[in-house]
Amino acid sequence: MKKKIGVYVCHCGGNISDYVDIEKVKEAVKDQAGVFLVKNTLFACADSSQKEMVADIQNNDLDAIVVASCSPKLHVPTFRSVAERAGLNPYNYVQVNVREQGSWAHSDNPEGATEKAILLVKAGIARAYESEALTPAKIPAINAVAVIGAGVGGLRSAIALADMGTEVFLIEKESSVGGHTAGLGQLFTTNIHGEELVANLLSEVKKRTNIKLFTNAELVEEKGSIGNFDIKIKTGKETLSLHSGAFVVNTGFDSYEPEKGEYGFGESENIITLPEFKKLIDTSEPGNLVFKGKTIHKIAYIYCIGSRQDLEGNNKYCSRFCCTAAIHSSILVKNKFKNIFNFHFNRGIRAYGKQELLYEESSKNSDIYLQFSLDSIPQIEKRRSKIFIKVKDILTAGKELETDADLVVLVTGMVPRKNDDLEHLLKIPVGRDGFFNEIHMKLRPVETVIDGVLIAGTCQSPKNILETLNSSMAAAAKANSLLTKGEITLEPTLARVNPAACNWCGKCSSACPFDAIIQTDYEGHKVAKVNASNCKGCGMCTPVCPFDAIDLAGFTNAQIEGMIDALAES
Amino acid sequence: MIDDKVNTEVADYDVLVIGAGIAGEESALKLADMGFRILLIEKEPSIGGKMILLSKVFPTLDCAACITTPKVSETARHPNITLLTLTEADSIIKESNGSFSVILKKHPRYVVEQDCTGCQECETVCPVVVKDQFQFDLVARKAVYIPFNIANPRIALIDIENCMLCGACEQKCPSHAIDFTQQEEAIQVQVKSVIVATGFKLFDPIHIERYGYGKFKNVITSMQMERELAPTRPFNNILRPSDGKVPDKIAYIFCTGSRDHTVGNPICSQVCCMYSTKQAQLLMGALPLADISLYYINIRAFGKGFNEFYMQAKDMGANYVKGKIASVSEKENGNLVLRYEDIASGRVTENEHDLVVLSIGLLANPEITKVFKNITLETDTLNYIKQPDLLQSPASTSVKGVFVSGTATAPMDIPDTIMSAGAAAAETSGYLKQLP
Amino acid sequence: MATNMQPKILVFSTEKISDPALDLAGLLKKHYPFTVYAISVPCSSCIKSRWIMRAYEKGFSGVFIAADGTDCSYGESCGEKTSQIVTATHQLMREKGLKPSQLKMAAICSVCADPFVKHITGFMKELEKLEH
Repeated sequence: MKKKIGVYVCHCGGNISDYVDIEKVKEAVKDQAGVFLVKNTLFACADSSQKEMVADIQNNDLDAIVVASCSPKLHVPTFRSVAERAGLNPYNYVQVNVREQGSWAHSDNPEGATEKAILLVKAGIARAYESEALTPAKIPAINAVAVIGAGVGGLRSAIALADMGTEVFLIEKESSVGGHTAGLGQLFTTNIHGEELVANLLSEVKKRTNIKLFTNAELVEEKGSIGNFDIKIKTGKETLSLHSGAFVVNTGFDSYEPEKGEYGFGESENIITLPEFKKLIDTSEPGNLVFKGKTIHKIAYIYCIGSRQDLEGNNKYCSRFCCTAAIHSSILVKNKFKNIFNFHFNRGIRAYGKQELLYEESSKNSDIYLQFSLDSIPQIEKRRSKIFIKVKDILTAGKELETDADLVVLVTGMVPRKNDDLEHLLKIPVGRDGFFNEIHMKLRPVETVIDGVLIAGTCQSPKNILETLNSSMAAAAKANSLLTKGEITLEPTLARVNPAACNWCGKCSSACPFDAIIQTDYEGHKVAKVNASNCKGCGMCTPVCPFDAIDLAGFTNAQIEGMIDALAES
Repeated sequence: MIDDKVNTEVADYDVLVIGAGIAGEESALKLADMGFRILLIEKEPSIGGKMILLSKVFPTLDCAACITTPKVSETARHPNITLLTLTEADSIIKESNGSFSVILKKHPRYVVEQDCTGCQECETVCPVVVKDQFQFDLVARKAVYIPFNIANPRIALIDIENCMLCGACEQKCPSHAIDFTQQEEAIQVQVKSVIVATGFKLFDPIHIERYGYGKFKNVITSMQMERELAPTRPFNNILRPSDGKVPDKIAYIFCTGSRDHTVGNPICSQVCCMYSTKQAQLLMGALPLADISLYYINIRAFGKGFNEFYMQAKDMGANYVKGKIASVSEKENGNLVLRYEDIASGRVTENEHDLVVLSIGLLANPEITKVFKNITLETDTLNYIKQPDLLQSPASTSVKGVFVSGTATAPMDIPDTIMSAGAAAAETSGYLKQLP
Repeated sequence: MATNMQPKILVFSTEKISDPALDLAGLLKKHYPFTVYAISVPCSSCIKSRWIMRAYEKGFSGVFIAADGTDCSYGESCGEKTSQIVTATHQLMREKGLKPSQLKMAAICSVCADPFVKHITGFMKELEKLEH
């Protein structure tokens, strides 16, 4: 039982204090059992506040601290570190969420938000009161990473990891590497060819003896946790067992496939998708552009196909790369072939950053840009074997304009690739847009909540090649920094058996999916014992014990029931 | 460790990271976690770059300070990172063995760092009042000052150019930390590699006369509005400069200084559509009765969660008007009249607003290239640090062993910066590991 | 309006999956009744019946288990084990004269902010009816 608890209530720069009456909270909790001091801070996480906490702990011999601020997702490591620096065991620190689950969730009811904050802080104090000092164990970590997917992202992740001294298993489902890029001709920005880029990256991979490339291979089994994953991959008829410390998922995207009838797709052979168009211009001989026996002069591009489906459809996001890709293609086609006229039917051109210059170039090439909105989309009509596109053009104050076109290019976006098996195996969370979900969009864009599973490239969100490379190398850097020390520190919130209360019925052992409970001798009778290196701290074993002889450190009966009692108070 | 005594004998580091904004911090932290010894220098008196001065970030609306301060704190504390503020690289010479000899200039704070407790007593007695650059001139500060509330290190400094040398602060300081005898220090170091993370410059809209910035009091920049919205804000409410009125008809002018050949910046700054939308959402929260009109060319809401964020702002009532503002004129009461071609109607229109916010763009910041003495750190045609192998090694520069991270390469938002910084860490680490 | 009359619901959320959904609800300002309190645990399969029973004993009207479902990173058996806990607890509840409908469980994914708010608001309405 703790006797000197320090309680810090954060304003969070107004995010909390604008709704929760901080003074009222302080007043209400100061007399709780064990509380020694109660303070408020503008930003608990700021360096000056942290310094103050360290000083408070040291000067007053505080034996526990409670920080009532934002979600534990953000600052648990920060405040655990504060405790450590002050000489306090980090598991004697409790985080209370009075922002996401307090001021923000109940911003419509400041009185209610304050009442709830008071009880949440009291519960935090009760938990701290019953907290115990816990010491994390360290286990050896394998400095090897399984990179899943050998498109340009995966190839680059592998090269980066290898150069940093990590062993790489590069696992590619198809028979060849390079993903979508391998089939692309000139890429925007540098005009290097996709095949060339892939060939360069592949040759770099081959130079590095610590990268093992498996093609026609898929992950079929996965066990273990960060630092120690036992995986099985299937290549053709063989199944191989490998050991890795982490995963970098580089599984890429799928191109949106328009529905039949969507802007005439599938109803006329001269209506094709952007990838099909790119292939056409990359592989055709210069001179006249010919498609299905017809010479092409007028090309109409219809943008945002399968993306920004604001009214109907699941893809509410912008696919990011396509405005630039379409414009770049329109410049290439004009440079390579004779008498080309480009008409861009768009919903606002998003050629962001330096890519703006391509938009400028295409405009200088006399390309015509027409803008539409979703409530007045371009109408495709076939008249006398010609395709006509009519639109109410926003840029000319809604004038109805029409052109015929020899070829219509539907500028299709990226959709999340179907990866059900992988998702299932690695338990990668999926966001609302269908792409893999990172822990924190701003600060931790390549990590997931599953320790040791990193996501990179377009499987995380649509992006272009440069962005994919940056993201892949960032994931490689993170993976390497986790494994390079050769050991991983385990969370000590593991299961524990009270041997005096145990009668070895075996129920906990059967409940454990990780073989972490074994039988052992204790004072002449058989009892259960937890093997710390296998225990994942899930607690599945704890409710099944008929004698309540097993609990989870950090989630003891005293702690949880103490919290329940505090929250139930009226 | 922060502002450790780096002695004038030559010290050895694996990496010199120039710039301690979010890019420099992220690269430094990744490399430090890998076990390398990092020297991180920052020319301002505090680390955290532009990010620490923001209000909230798009599209999550996390408070910028909340997500920056832990990174800043981690950087300042990391045992493998030596951090020097008010320090610039003066010369970098590449040696024949591939390493770099660097001379740093550490500007004096005139405050003894270890003794300053951040109490701010000195500020109360200083008689000099000047514009506060960290509040983007919205309010004033003293000549002796703590840069801002959540500065790291939270140590005072004296703006010696404006200081009267009256000594009042010296007398008042309870820790006797004021030291007028401090001088600029030259520090020599040997490093194996360099990461340039010098960030971006903000476009100064004084160059667009017809928008009236600098002439009309109620035309402000988005950075100034950002400060008004930030938790460590100068005022308790959103106020307009001419008379302190709380505005209720606010206008945003997008693409100020971007996509504009006439001011020498033809490219898109990538973040302004989003940050303006974010500010609009925050304003609609802070001033529920205010009308917010955003005059745009295109809405570049392309990133993860961006389009949804933009639709949300529209749902909340933000008025997006397609049309480039031709000119701004001022009325006697301080209100502004915006003249533009309204694309929807095809007609030249005028609208009156009581506050105009210019969505200023991001510019290249290539000053660092002058520091490289016997080698050329090349820039591209837009003055950003050149990435010669863009699609294979985006963090590499024209100099072997020198890498680049973040907005020093191109305009980009925070997640893109973090990924670019991670890439720089990966490439630097790979480079260091293959050195003999 | 703060009130002592509103029923209290105890939510058991999971650290990696459903608690982030509760956070997301707050982030998006999706409001729900304030007398809903969450205790976060590693996995919903670690929740003990005795904790649930204590909640009712101390004055909670409802208990909601925001389970991981198939997202659980600890394995497949999570869902089944959590259901077994609910079944065992229902038995104890019946003995104490509590209605089984006062204990609810639903799989809440890490971005399921709207479903969470819907569940909890519906649950609160049910409990309010029960009390009258």
